[in-house]
Amino acid sequence: MNAMTVGFATGTDTEEKVRTDEKTDLDQPWVVVVWNDPVNLMSYVSYVFQSYFGYSEAKARTLMLEVHEEGRSAVVSGTREKVEQDTVALHSYGLWATFEKAGSE
Amino acid sequence: MAKPFKSTRRGITGALEPGEARLLGALLDDVVTMLEPDTAPSEDPLAALVGMSGADAQATAPDDSAVRRLLPDAVRGDDDEALAFRRLTERSLREQKIGALRGSALLIESSPMTLNDDQARLLAQALNDVRLVLADRLSIESEEDAERLHDIADSKDVDDVESYLALVYNFVTWLQESLVRAMLKAARLDR
Repeated sequence: MNAMTVGFATGTDTEEKVRTDEKTDLDQPWVVVVWNDPVNLMSYVSYVFQSYFGYSEAKARTLMLEVHEEGRSAVVSGTREKVEQDTVALHSYGLWATFEKAGSE
Repeated sequence: MAKPFKSTRRGITGALEPGEARLLGALLDDVVTMLEPDTAPSEDPLAALVGMSGADAQATAPDDSAVRRLLPDAVRGDDDEALAFRRLTERSLREQKIGALRGSALLIESSPMTLNDDQARLLAQALNDVRLVLADRLSIESEEDAERLHDIADSKDVDDVESYLALVYNFVTWLQESLVRAMLKAARLDR
């Protein structure tokens, strides 16, 4: 899995935004990965993706399901400084997040 | 029994029974105690001046697995890198979490509660941290573990410490789910 998976969303309302994100992802060397755990509620994880990253309901849900079903999802990409900040912010929400170089898995 | 949270024009409302508020208050305090740093904050004025007061050169990965889940490694597969990052960020993360837990302990003292967006977020974060700690004590490591405890929903199901903890866990889960649903509904109406 690599940063490209951030772009997968099924909601039609997000298609345009998703395409833009994919393009950006290619230029961004670091990603934040959220890992599945059996405690965090699906609704809460969706809420965090919507409110912290400003993602649409559809995109947040897609990423949440990817975490849940595949065990991990690269949810955002950016500079090293940005992914460090985002990782700490997700820890403040209690999500299990790490940062890594894009494409390192 | 507590009433589910609701999204209203005035904000998100909810109400706990006095016994529930006391229990939850004690849990929030417990998590605060777990998160309070072992070492005194940096008193180096230069460090404070350059915004490094969140740093803690002595920090190590916590021994308690529940605290480790609250303050996880930010880097996988590289302990040195994870530790270096922890030393720069862990103290401010602890302080942020303690702030949310203490703020939430005050919020739940009112019944009914009327929460604005920031207060609702703090309470959702604090409830999540309480659940992470309870889940660690209950050894919930898989979806199956969580399922196994799901049926303990009434005090008559309680016959030992584990089933009591499971009852508390299920209550806090129900409360958080109801709060987050109300928050998502409020966000949808805002758009």
